[in-house]
Amino acid sequence: MSAFDLSEDQQDCLQELINVAMGQASDQLARYLNTFVYLKVPSIEQVKSDQLFDSGHQNLEAIAVVSQGFFGYEGIRGEALLMYQPQDSHRLADLLGYEDDEMSFDEQIIDLSSILTTTFLNVFASQIDNQMSYSAPRLISANQGMVSEHLTQQAFNWDLALKVRISYQVTDYSFNCDMVLLIPEEAIINIKTVIDRILEDF
Amino acid sequence: MSTNVLICDDSNLARKQVLRSLPESLSSDAQLATNGEEALAILRNQNIDVLFLDLTMPVIDGLGVLQAMQDESIELPVFVISADIQPEMQSRVLNLGAKAFLRKPVQLETLNENLKLHGIL
Amino acid sequence: MLDEFCLDISNRLNTGILFLDCDYNIIMWNRFLEVHANKNDNDVIGKSVFSIFPELPRKWFERKLSSVIQLKTQSFCGWEQRHHLFELFHSRPITTDSHFMAQNCTFLPVEISGELEGICILIEDVTDVCHYQNQLNKALEELALSNRIDGLTQTFNRKHWEECLAKEFSRARRHQHDLALVMLDLDHFKLLNDTFGHQGGDLVLVETAKAVTKLLRMGDLFGRYGGEEFAVILPNTNLAGAEEVAERIRQSIAKNTIRYQDRTISVTASIGVATIDSIDTRYEDLISNADIALYEAKAKGRNRVCLAKETLLA
Repeated sequence: MSAFDLSEDQQDCLQELINVAMGQASDQLARYLNTFVYLKVPSIEQVKSDQLFDSGHQNLEAIAVVSQGFFGYEGIRGEALLMYQPQDSHRLADLLGYEDDEMSFDEQIIDLSSILTTTFLNVFASQIDNQMSYSAPRLISANQGMVSEHLTQQAFNWDLALKVRISYQVTDYSFNCDMVLLIPEEAIINIKTVIDRILEDF
Repeated sequence: MSTNVLICDDSNLARKQVLRSLPESLSSDAQLATNGEEALAILRNQNIDVLFLDLTMPVIDGLGVLQAMQDESIELPVFVISADIQPEMQSRVLNLGAKAFLRKPVQLETLNENLKLHGIL
Repeated sequence: MLDEFCLDISNRLNTGILFLDCDYNIIMWNRFLEVHANKNDNDVIGKSVFSIFPELPRKWFERKLSSVIQLKTQSFCGWEQRHHLFELFHSRPITTDSHFMAQNCTFLPVEISGELEGICILIEDVTDVCHYQNQLNKALEELALSNRIDGLTQTFNRKHWEECLAKEFSRARRHQHDLALVMLDLDHFKLLNDTFGHQGGDLVLVETAKAVTKLLRMGDLFGRYGGEEFAVILPNTNLAGAEEVAERIRQSIAKNTIRYQDRTISVTASIGVATIDSIDTRYEDLISNADIALYEAKAKGRNRVCLAKETLLA
């Protein structure tokens, strides 16, 4: 067991924090998009750096990935990656409420990613009495080679990724995307401290 | 006469959050279930007076529990405590007979107000 | 005291600060914007942002700001997607090719005790970044091109040509399309080199490549396979079609007279043609079938086209 493995209680606590954040983020998203979002239980997985692409992404050839850094108090920081399958993305402009010719595809997924990431992490942070700042979202690329390259050139050495699979299904239209939170080891230890504080309360 | 309480949530933390928000008289003998199936088994075989129910759960979710209770005429006050706070979800839950919808993480004051409002306290 | 200090700093920042109320009126801006927009403070404060910056894409802008207001979360707009939102002058008009300042814009909700008061837009000058990134992209493109091209003949080099063949081969397999391969080798090239020197030989290679290129369609892939050996991939082409192309290539090379140091060089080519068939499981098989036909053309007296036969495959 390494320093960043979570105990059963810690895992449970994190799962609940994420559930609540997901719920509120979806509610905001549903109001903003003026639609109903069918929420599924988000699957949360811890992934080691070398396993990120092992499972769940058979169709890696053509994937769009948007990256956005986040920074909070108490050393909680990392990078959120939103990964899309392109077949899900052709009606994003519709969903976001922009005219077709107002926005390029790149801009659409950057906009949507930023909304998903910031609404989710804002609620997550507020539950642990924290507050997040964000860097500008960037489209890394549309192919997996570039993504792997990006991950190896990370500013920090991340050891564990928290992979939160979000599936947003909107009334007349569905799309899936994975949100992957890459968190460096020191930040994981900081998160564990916060979780332990919550658990001590009970 | 004591009140029999059942708390159904897949998260240990969430169950504890409910437990500690309840007055001693309700929490001391409360039973716990970790999914809808477990909850229904208890509801069918025991006299439960009040149910605190999560929505997003494995096996059978909260909506499934409410539907089964309606189908089997199991009648008791249900308080839904969920993170899925979209207005449409709230109205669905209330249409299925829940007394109230409370957002997670549950607050002690809100829970007690609702218990008083519905005559549990 | 602290207010004055903040005001002073905001006016010295190299970032634009634009503060709007929820009806898009300008409440405040800093000196950076005043200078770069070249507009007077008094004409701007209290006015609609759309009247001061009529270049803004209004519907897009309103939708963007509505997400900031409604979700109370920040939003971005980067130069890679939109070079600029505001038409601002920048300080490097001579050394870069942008007319207006390239910008990264951040839209921040401004809340005072939980109530949304307005939106703060931060505008960063990234003209330099944009300029260097574009130069880098150009250099990378050129590098990628030079990785694919044979320096002498300007046709695809062997490595890239084989990658193309591998792709075309699997595409043809998948969609059950025709695919033909033409391989040609210049006749008696060693003798030609001995007679005219290597520079003469190089010129023949260059001129032959030019002559062949003229005969090809879009989508045909022409590469230098080895010393004096060239190869052409013909997608969606059957054996008869490929034979026709090969024959035209042969004639064109034979007719081509090349002037070198007041002398005339003539050259001929032997050509082998093969097409994809059910037995070929790998693209390498296609190459070796064409190669066998090419050697047959050499053996039969050169300056001719031979077709690969099914029987040769057994």
